[in-house]
Amino acid sequence: MSDNDKPELPGSGREHLSPIPEQHDPGAPQHREFVTTDELSVEKQIDLSQKSYSQGELIRRRFFRHKGAMISLAFLLFITIMAITSIGWGPIPGWWPKNYWEASFVENGGRPSLGFFPPAWGEQPFGQEDAGKDYFALTMRGTQRSLTIAFTVGILTTILGTAIGAIAGYFRGWVESVLMRVTDLFIVIPLLVLAAVLGQRSGGGIWPLAIMLSLVSWTGLARLVRGEVLSLREREFVTAAEAVGTSPWRIIFKHILPNTMGTIIVSATLTIASVILLESALSFLGFGVRPPDTSLGLLISTYQNSFTVRPWLFWWPGLIILGIALSVNFLGDGLRDAFDPRQSRSE
Amino acid sequence: MTVTTDKTSGAVLDFSDVDVRFTTEFGSVHAVKGVSLHVNPGEVVALVGESGSGKSVTSMTAMRLLPSNARVGGEITVNGRGIRTLSEGAMRRLRGNDIAMVFQEPMTALNPVLTIGTQLTEALELHGIASGKRAVDRAIELLDMVGIPEPARRIKQYPHELSGGQRQRVVIAIAISCDPKVIIADEPTTALDVTVQADILDLLRSLKEKLNTGILLITHNMGVVADMADRVAVMFKGDLVETGTADEVLLNPQHEYTKMLLSSVPRLGAGRAQMGVNISEDTIDRDAELAIDLENLVIEYHRLGKPPFRAVDDVSFQVRQGEIVGLVGESGSGKSTIGRCALGLIPAAGGSFRLLGQDITGMKRRQLKAIRRRIGVIFQDPAASLNPRLPIGECISEPMVVHKVGNRKEQEQKVYELLDAVELPREVYNRYPHEVSGGQRQRISIARALTLDPELLVADEPTSALDVSVQAKVLNIFSDLQARYKFACLFISHDLAVIDLLAHQVVVLQNGKVVEAGPREQVLANPQEEYTQRLLAAAPVPHPGEQRERREQRHALLRELGDEVSEIRASGGEFHRTFVQTEEPKDL
Amino acid sequence: MLRFILRRLGISALILVLGSVFLFFITVFSGDPLEDLRESRDRNREQLMEARIRNMNLNDPWYVRYWTWAVGVGKCITLNCDLGTDSRGSDINTALVNAAGSTLRLVTLATVLAIIIGITMGILAAIRQYSGFDYIVTFAAFLFFSLPVFWVAVLLKEYGAIRFNNWIADPSVSLTAAIIIGLLFGLVLASLLGGDLRRKLLTFAVAGLVAFGAITYFDMVSWWRQPALGLGLIILVALGAGVLLTYLTVGRTNRKIFYAALTTIVAGVIGTFVFGGWITEPTYPLLLLMFAISIVSAIVIGWFWGGWDKRIAIWVSIGTAVAFGLATILDQLLRNWGPFLERKPRPISTIGSGSPNFEGPFWTGVWDWGVQLILPTVVLTVISLASYSRYTRASMLETIRQDYVRTARSKGLSERVVITKHALRNALIPITTIVAFDFAGLIGGAVVTETVFGWKGMGALFQEGLTRVDPGPVMAFYLVTGTAAVLMNMIADIAYAFLDPRIRT
Repeated sequence: MSDNDKPELPGSGREHLSPIPEQHDPGAPQHREFVTTDELSVEKQIDLSQKSYSQGELIRRRFFRHKGAMISLAFLLFITIMAITSIGWGPIPGWWPKNYWEASFVENGGRPSLGFFPPAWGEQPFGQEDAGKDYFALTMRGTQRSLTIAFTVGILTTILGTAIGAIAGYFRGWVESVLMRVTDLFIVIPLLVLAAVLGQRSGGGIWPLAIMLSLVSWTGLARLVRGEVLSLREREFVTAAEAVGTSPWRIIFKHILPNTMGTIIVSATLTIASVILLESALSFLGFGVRPPDTSLGLLISTYQNSFTVRPWLFWWPGLIILGIALSVNFLGDGLRDAFDPRQSRSE
Repeated sequence: MTVTTDKTSGAVLDFSDVDVRFTTEFGSVHAVKGVSLHVNPGEVVALVGESGSGKSVTSMTAMRLLPSNARVGGEITVNGRGIRTLSEGAMRRLRGNDIAMVFQEPMTALNPVLTIGTQLTEALELHGIASGKRAVDRAIELLDMVGIPEPARRIKQYPHELSGGQRQRVVIAIAISCDPKVIIADEPTTALDVTVQADILDLLRSLKEKLNTGILLITHNMGVVADMADRVAVMFKGDLVETGTADEVLLNPQHEYTKMLLSSVPRLGAGRAQMGVNISEDTIDRDAELAIDLENLVIEYHRLGKPPFRAVDDVSFQVRQGEIVGLVGESGSGKSTIGRCALGLIPAAGGSFRLLGQDITGMKRRQLKAIRRRIGVIFQDPAASLNPRLPIGECISEPMVVHKVGNRKEQEQKVYELLDAVELPREVYNRYPHEVSGGQRQRISIARALTLDPELLVADEPTSALDVSVQAKVLNIFSDLQARYKFACLFISHDLAVIDLLAHQVVVLQNGKVVEAGPREQVLANPQEEYTQRLLAAAPVPHPGEQRERREQRHALLRELGDEVSEIRASGGEFHRTFVQTEEPKDL
Repeated sequence: MLRFILRRLGISALILVLGSVFLFFITVFSGDPLEDLRESRDRNREQLMEARIRNMNLNDPWYVRYWTWAVGVGKCITLNCDLGTDSRGSDINTALVNAAGSTLRLVTLATVLAIIIGITMGILAAIRQYSGFDYIVTFAAFLFFSLPVFWVAVLLKEYGAIRFNNWIADPSVSLTAAIIIGLLFGLVLASLLGGDLRRKLLTFAVAGLVAFGAITYFDMVSWWRQPALGLGLIILVALGAGVLLTYLTVGRTNRKIFYAALTTIVAGVIGTFVFGGWITEPTYPLLLLMFAISIVSAIVIGWFWGGWDKRIAIWVSIGTAVAFGLATILDQLLRNWGPFLERKPRPISTIGSGSPNFEGPFWTGVWDWGVQLILPTVVLTVISLASYSRYTRASMLETIRQDYVRTARSKGLSERVVITKHALRNALIPITTIVAFDFAGLIGGAVVTETVFGWKGMGALFQEGLTRVDPGPVMAFYLVTGTAAVLMNMIADIAYAFLDPRIRT
């Protein structure tokens, strides 16, 4: 039996395999005329011969079996590690000899030297931009900045959204009203518009921008968490905890939030994907990251007009944005399947 | 393994050596293992079994509506036609026309966005019985036949505007709309209140008597079997273990499983000492302190833009220390609301609720917490009653952690004691709730409720979601523990037989008001109020002869009270004549 | 029902007002409107600054400026809006009227297309769960989700406009291209229609050959520059629609319904000859009139044939009439493609929402703004269709599992009726909410798309306004998009109540 993470299905004939003999309380009164032998019980015996799995372990197993998510995870790790190690990040030194700010002589029309048949890295794998800067280093720099914003916003949004959603769902009251009104606001003011106005205010640096984007991105998660909390509140184990006199905070942290982890993690993942796209769109419009700093969106914006002459300047950052967003979305899908096997495509 | 006594020729539904396997991710599941069974015209055959016995799967093979991962073997004939080899189109013509179904959940069996009329007429139009205006007229007639008042108005309504019993009548009207030869009724009354159940069973019985329809009745309720069945087939884990007439199977069971099943059913009026449950009568001290003292309690639910709904209205009763009080009522009677109020989860709108000597209405959180330490609680739904993220041991010790009782070692020791008490192996301490079954989870709930040695236990339908044999085991453990710990208990249930088995005092509720209250013997054996009489008369007992008598008594009671006995309002000849086909059937 | 709508309207209006205060506030404080002038070395710097301060009332505090704006908007009730002036002193009213027209045209078309295509794909993916088609739709949805709008827009500009313009100058399809298109068409159709392997292969072969043949034929008769449908094809299209609708509503053999559709087509053909002049050289009111006439005659025909099923017959003949009308319009458009190419040899410009000062007959005029609409609409549709298809699929899968679907099957209903009548309506209920939410996102997407395609639309108004820290244009943008979003929400709410009887009471 390789798969033991599901209770035995009734009628599968495997219920008798338990080594545990009949359970009888020796102190129980002996006058029972009524006997249940285990062979006649429809109740499944607790199978103690197999390893016990917690919900978390089951989810991890399901997640690691999801091919799409695994490929995406590998790709995402590859991009992240490339971006960090190639040109270095903070104290980490880079292995790529060129940097992203020095202009130099444009060779071969700035064409990329990356080859696939035969595989070759070359001098300028992604080519050179108009002023002769190494486009690989520039793209990696953009990737670093974009990823930094995406992950910062992902983390801040998750904390903010979870806290507000849980409070709104459990205590209701004014927090819930605020949440619902802000949600209404997003119906009349598009997210991108709000982000653009705040992005303009942030002045073009990545950290202020990340904070501004977090301020507008938390509502989706907060609404989801609120919905989950509202339905979990009605579940009997929460009522039982309330009946025992458990404090509200203990109920939220011990009984409710662990059961919303699925929603939170999936939503956090998807937020990262949407922030990557949002940031690049803002930078493209001129309300996001602004020079001298750079990001993938800004690179596309800067070089969109060289598309006919030097298409690679346009292709590389675009493909990286697409790749990151796509893999993060697939990762989210894999996580959703792992947390909620009912919706799984491999039922 | 199967015993077929009657001749099968002329049967409207015949299963012969039916075998079903489901291919799943975890290998193949053998759900039905060679079942042979037949239903004759005008006969009710009850297919009985607990969950996982394969009874519903067997019946669904006759409709060919099993999911695509099912592999079916054997031969099934409906009205003389083998359906295994039928084309999809021919099978569709068969459904509704020759074989129809009545489902368990009337709340979900009807499409919420289509009117009753649309859902009734579409089968008539599809099978070419009537169309357009004539179909609507026929639908109104059908609703009238199944006893729905004002059918012309109802036909324009949506399912949510009807009560559960009425919806089930609509489902039955749809089932008989094309005059099928056989109806499969899959737990048709399980989701209904006991009085409504009796009415629906009367209606189904009149179908077989007046229209000569064969009925395959799938149920787990032995009382329903005794009330309805001509023949009985008992299934256990995919096998047909016993067949015979209702008298043979219910009065003289041969197979061990059938014997066990019958001995697990609590019987109303059979007194204490059934199934090994022992609730002592003599230990009750009439002068003991009051654990619960309700005086003119009123509970209201606030609704947006509407006047508040009064769920509990002027209710008074008491529960003494060491005493079990059964709170009985149908859905909407407010019994669970009172239970939740006792736990301090819902505020009272009026009256007083004294719990263990203290008035909890308007109590502060901190004071309430001190009271809650002395109360335990068990809920109905085994799937939702334990936190899926906590190991079982932590679930049980949680109340001790919350109230800071004992150190880790002592808490662990207490959990082991309780696991022993509810007859679960100590090894489940580190297991998770999803690894154990429903009955075992309810036992864990009991253990958790007893962690702090409560003086009062509130049990809200603790066994309603369980199979009878599992229920017997849980009730057994419960009664032993009550004998040992002597806690007072407010036992909420809709099942009169369970209350009869456990309670010292009984309180009958209807629409938020107390109808009758008093000692068990008085209320259940000699009811004074009309509602209690109806309730008792409607509860079926698993003995065919006795049940027949009870049924006749109930009909007499209904007539005496000026009510109708529900039955189909059409004679057989008249009904069948309307099914002379008027148009070519539409080929869909 | 009316009370419900009015209540929603009241709430929406309140949100609109609050949103305007909020947006005004954050726009005013998003930067310094005089920044560029402060750094300027112009000699008349002071004058410029003064002019701008005067135009924007910068000496008033923000709430006074908001009040001025709000009073101006309030005049809209008397159809006399006053949205003030932008930082350069030009009137925002005029700018807004032009911008709103082109943007709303774009967004509405994209929304409608995305809803229709997305929901259809979602339903097909759900009822063919785990099939090749399902996987393709799923993957496509993820891909579309992950596309940066502006990046796709630039790509489309290159391949959809510049290269298409080059190709249409001397159109010819090579044999390889024709074969590949045929193969692709066959594959798509086979997976869309489904069935067992034999049927799929048959569909693939027939569809592929038809597509290949059509392309080669078009190439030979230089159809690419002088296309037309002709009355025969129009009738065929309408006939197809009639058969499909009959099949979808009552099934193959209900002749009465089908005769209703046939009669509608005959009436259409007669109408084509009667109104021939109007059709070739129409105006918008004339088109509308002809549309109304055809609908009325369809209703009459449906009523006449209907018998027991009058309602269904009427709907089927209306559907057939609409198909006939659309095919006629398409035919006229195609006939005018040649004349349009003569006036504009490179038909799709990469910038703008229409050629300035374009002159020509009615249908070439339609072409002029029509072709400009194609590429931005494709971008917006592709991006929002992803979420619709995902939600529909999930919702449909959930619905198919419900008990009432089993009840419907147990009556003997065919799979088609079970899906269209019982499952779909329930599955659509949650989707209406998504549509409302998604509309705001679509407007956001439109801002980016318009920038790439150089439309002088709402997006440009917003972008320029925000860059100059000028609340006037930004608020004008908000006024239109916010109102549109509120209206969209209302429609969604009404659709919700229409679909779900439980909330009507």
